[in-house]
Amino acid sequence: MEIPYIVTPRKDTGLINSKIAIWLFLASEVMLFGGFFSAYVYLRMGADYPWPERTLPVLPGLINTFVLIGSSVTVVFAWAALKMREWRKFQIYMGITVACAALFMVLKGVEYNVKFHHQAVRLDDYSVVEGHLGYELKEGADAHHPNADDYVKDHNGDKIEENMIRVKVEKLTFATKRYYAEWVDEMLSEADHANAKITLEADIEATTTEGGKMKVIAKKGEPLSLDLLKKLKDVQLAALKHNAALRTQNLREQWVVAKDANPGKQGWEISDDVSINMDDITPLMLSEVPSATFVVNPPTEFLFKPRDIREAEGSSRLRDDTVVVGELEESPMVFHNVDAVDFQWLVMKAEEKGISPEAAIENSWLMKNNAFVREIWAWHLKRNEAKQKDLNEQYGFKEDENGKPTETPDRVLTHKELYRIGWKEFRDYGEETKGVEVSAVAGLKEEFMGPNYKARGAETFPELSLPREEIRHAAKFSPAWNTYYAIYFTITGLHGLHVIGGALVLAYYLFFGRKMYLENPEWLANRVEVGGLFWHFVDLIWIFAFPILYLM
Amino acid sequence: MSANAASHDSSHDHHDDHGDHHHNPGFIQKYIFSTDHKTIGIQYGITAMLFLAFGFYLMMVMRWSIAYPHQPLPEWMSFLFTDTWKARWLLDGKVTGETYNMFGAMHGTIMVFLGIVPLGFGAFGNYVTPLQIGAVDMAFPKLNMLSYWIYFVGGVIMCASFFMESGAAKSGWTNYSPLAGFADGQIVNQWLAGQTQWLIGLVCLITSSLLGSVNFITTIINLRARGMTWMRLPFFVWAMLVTGFLLLLAFPPLEAAGIMQLMDRVAHSSFFMPSGLYTSAEGLADLSGGGSPLLFQHLFWFLGHPEVYVLLLPAIACVAEIIPVNTRKPLWGYKSMVYSVLILGFLSFIVWAHHMYMTGMGSAVSTFFQTTTVLISIPSVIIITAMLISLWGGSIRFTMPMLWACAFIPMFGIGGLTGLPLAFNLVGLHLHDTYYVIGHFHYVVAPGILFGLFAGVYHWYPKMTGRYMSNFLGHLHFWPSLVCMNIIFFPMLIQGMAGFHRRWYNGGDAYLAKAADSTDVFGNVVRDYIDLNIIMSMGAWALALAQIPFVINLFIAWKAGKKVESDNPWDATTLEWSTPTPPGHGNFTYDVAVYRGPYEYSRPDCDKDYFPQWEAPKKPVEEPADAPSVANTNDHH
Amino acid sequence: MADSIEAIQKSKKTYILVFLALLVGTVLTVLVAEAPTWATWLQWMDVGEHGFDKYDAILGLLIATTKATLVAYYFMHLNHEKKAVYWIFGSGIVFVLWMAFLLALAYRSPINDYLFYK
Repeated sequence: MEIPYIVTPRKDTGLINSKIAIWLFLASEVMLFGGFFSAYVYLRMGADYPWPERTLPVLPGLINTFVLIGSSVTVVFAWAALKMREWRKFQIYMGITVACAALFMVLKGVEYNVKFHHQAVRLDDYSVVEGHLGYELKEGADAHHPNADDYVKDHNGDKIEENMIRVKVEKLTFATKRYYAEWVDEMLSEADHANAKITLEADIEATTTEGGKMKVIAKKGEPLSLDLLKKLKDVQLAALKHNAALRTQNLREQWVVAKDANPGKQGWEISDDVSINMDDITPLMLSEVPSATFVVNPPTEFLFKPRDIREAEGSSRLRDDTVVVGELEESPMVFHNVDAVDFQWLVMKAEEKGISPEAAIENSWLMKNNAFVREIWAWHLKRNEAKQKDLNEQYGFKEDENGKPTETPDRVLTHKELYRIGWKEFRDYGEETKGVEVSAVAGLKEEFMGPNYKARGAETFPELSLPREEIRHAAKFSPAWNTYYAIYFTITGLHGLHVIGGALVLAYYLFFGRKMYLENPEWLANRVEVGGLFWHFVDLIWIFAFPILYLM
Repeated sequence: MSANAASHDSSHDHHDDHGDHHHNPGFIQKYIFSTDHKTIGIQYGITAMLFLAFGFYLMMVMRWSIAYPHQPLPEWMSFLFTDTWKARWLLDGKVTGETYNMFGAMHGTIMVFLGIVPLGFGAFGNYVTPLQIGAVDMAFPKLNMLSYWIYFVGGVIMCASFFMESGAAKSGWTNYSPLAGFADGQIVNQWLAGQTQWLIGLVCLITSSLLGSVNFITTIINLRARGMTWMRLPFFVWAMLVTGFLLLLAFPPLEAAGIMQLMDRVAHSSFFMPSGLYTSAEGLADLSGGGSPLLFQHLFWFLGHPEVYVLLLPAIACVAEIIPVNTRKPLWGYKSMVYSVLILGFLSFIVWAHHMYMTGMGSAVSTFFQTTTVLISIPSVIIITAMLISLWGGSIRFTMPMLWACAFIPMFGIGGLTGLPLAFNLVGLHLHDTYYVIGHFHYVVAPGILFGLFAGVYHWYPKMTGRYMSNFLGHLHFWPSLVCMNIIFFPMLIQGMAGFHRRWYNGGDAYLAKAADSTDVFGNVVRDYIDLNIIMSMGAWALALAQIPFVINLFIAWKAGKKVESDNPWDATTLEWSTPTPPGHGNFTYDVAVYRGPYEYSRPDCDKDYFPQWEAPKKPVEEPADAPSVANTNDHH
Repeated sequence: MADSIEAIQKSKKTYILVFLALLVGTVLTVLVAEAPTWATWLQWMDVGEHGFDKYDAILGLLIATTKATLVAYYFMHLNHEKKAVYWIFGSGIVFVLWMAFLLALAYRSPINDYLFYK
């Protein structure tokens, strides 16, 4: 059996099968990316926070656009070469295409990597701080030029990011049904590292057979282990299962009795009078062990990721329902390098309430508690004044109905210019007031990779410690930071997957196409054309993604 | 098959080595990883029916909870669960609200995505379409196989989540955020939460249907037999073409929404999470906020509405094939039906927000969608009317398939007509989220679409197996089903108008208890109609019993049914009846050519009252311009 | 499909021209969004300085659309393609525009104005 029209087009439609299929697929892809771009429009229209306009470095995006356009041309040349039966040329053009794809992904990877190491925090008063979280350093180490052995290491020998919740744990109570084994392992290892013991607080007694006697199933002082928890979990589940069956059976019987006693009545009319007869089943029930409490001796400092723990004074709770009893220690989030302070959101909220932006900024936690922020804010105000003057000179003032200029400038600074001190302002501030200098190459690299903390040091990008209770929301520059980054990562990530997929197919034709070329060059040309169509489409998406995500 | 291949071999010096191993495929290749569209169709059919049975079972548990809210599940209904599972999800044997939500969400998901779409589009589409257009197979047989297996994996992933710590998804089959975004938040590894598994399963299903629809459309465009011009396509094929386009273009926005919700769950983004979300369990959510729950609804219903027609069109397609065969009359208004189905497909993309009148999306948009929604009823009514008129004056043979097809028309009619009031947003104020809506769309889907598909099973079964299904068991299946369906769904319309909310897990009992304290008129109305719950649930048990004859019939007839007398047992005109029974790999044993339209019945100039499409006319007719000539149908590499 | 050798030879030149046009278009997009205010006569369009936030956004997207059209028309051979392909791809474009338009329209309502612009 042969499927027709694989190589030669059908006469009336003029098309081969795969060409129809790829165009159908592309139509579907249009809808998929259309969905994302519509989501972008929708989210931006409905954003209730200052949308981060032009927040990405343009240079990497621009270079990537060139790379992708270039590869689009070479793939069409590769197809043309096949059509002319020039295998060598095909190899060259296709090779360039695949190399371009690789380059694109490398640049994308660099771009992503920078973002995943860049922290942002929104404080309770809606001011935003951005920068680089450091790792915990030993006493006396240079925060900006640390050596490898300056870092404090945790029990796994890893550096500790200065964004952990610290609890001096005295007791741990695990929910036997749903403790998370990986975390238990982690705690055991942490305790081991600190030479602490985690042992059972008291004997656990339970009836494990129907009608049996209470007996001790775990002794006081038994060390915490996954096996022990597993044993308790089994006891708990067995008890739940047994008791539920007993209760269900008894309730069914009660219902039969109740229905006989109330003929002609519906269930919901008599349900209040029907209940399980506990006297009947209590002697048969197994005892449940819903939790097990362990003592940490001596009390030891454990580190928790902020998202895993709901901290509270005295007793905190992990996401797997483990209760952590112990003193909550100071767990500030420490920026080793702050590179942006953003009051746009705070101003937006202030304006909603009718407070003047300047007053709101003066009252913000940052302005009250950090000298550097006060200094750079004063510098920023002065600079903005000069900028506005420039604008006035360039554009003049608005005109009234008689054509005479009024007091209102025609052009005013945007909110972003007014209320955000970005890393470039930090850079200029450092250069102007403190004489920090870097080489031209380092300066260009900054356009690509963002601020260079090492070269510019604490004078430009100072340290800042934020107490935990001031923090409303914190994240890396990841999808979690805001909806802009969410849609940026989703569109570019999905686009990246398409690039990888397309490049794999094209690379397959490049490296394994020779046999098919010798047998049936037209077939290979058709396939390359179809693969190329997909490749152009990937380019097409990027043509829209670049201005929308990088420039808008 | 062999004859076909031989004719190719003689005319071409092509490389047939990859075709050769199809000649003697092993068991696995023949029945499990088959690339034959007929085997894949049957695989789809069996899998989908299993999912349908499972979804039906979930519904029975829900109906118990509604009718007997305080009583433990009876043993005959809870035998499927293990004791541990029961201890986790039932409270003293009673269905809890959480479990009810889980079953409700999965009932909807399974029935729509895993049951009816695969049965209608996957099974019938796969089996019948290539046969009807005279193709050897689908254009991409391997993609076809892949499509089935991705569907299977997606379904398994979704159902496996029942046994996870979190249980399966619980936020309705619509999976609205922020409810769905928060659900299962207590699970540490979010990849293992039921709600996440639902999304992963959905992405699998969308991928599967994307591959399927690309394949279908390509096949229909490019693999039609010689002489099979567009207006000679059976209506079935037209419906499949439109269904393919709906799947192709409507699913991706849902995929986008699914990916975004997945991001919300595992990457903690806030696509659909508004600012300042606060829950009693979590406190102020640790999220950036700024997202839009409405966005999810828009993207969901952008799929959701075309999806209704994805469900419906295959059923209409089956019925439209069965009616002309059994009335021995041409399908009335074939052309207007074709144009209607095309317009229906187009309109179905621009009506989606009528599911969202109550979201406060704004009067301008509401008015727009109200208008398009009313418009879309026109093509549907044309199709149904054409089928009804097709019965007029025919000498109807009441075979099993015809009985189902005849029942389809009024049942679907009720479903459609009860939908008309819902098109208006003012009426939506009262009826939104009530049992009226449930009754409406179940009338479309259960006695409507399912009856259409049952008709298809009885109709094409002889072609698939070479044996008829038993008429006796068929009647035992049909009549109780017809009665029970109405017992279940008609009271829903009444209850809905009385204000019964669709998500009451206890059938209104809790509402009644609250209403007893107040003079609320609404509560009193609920008291008047709450008894209907029990009747409806009884109907559901009876409906379950009524399916037993069908299952028996399906298996017994496979081996012991009455054998067909010829390859064309119904005296039908379309091409699938010109193949051997059952058709072999490659389908046709002769060089297929089509000489006439699909429904040439009751032809006075014919000695046997019908002209099959493949029968050459006595005197030669001109070759139509848009079909390839004989010489290049056999063209390949 | 440009099938004959001569046709392909000829279209190679076109491909180079399109490539150059795409490069220019990209640079132009960035200039429109990024460049300092270099032309006061364009100020109504708000070119430069503040990025895409006014008519320059429309201009930027127009350039992008032009580039996309060039790619689709020449590289993807839509300049000489069969009818079926136009129907297929066209349906995708039409519905996606519909969706974007209606989604945007969904915001134009008194309720949302109140919530988001007050």
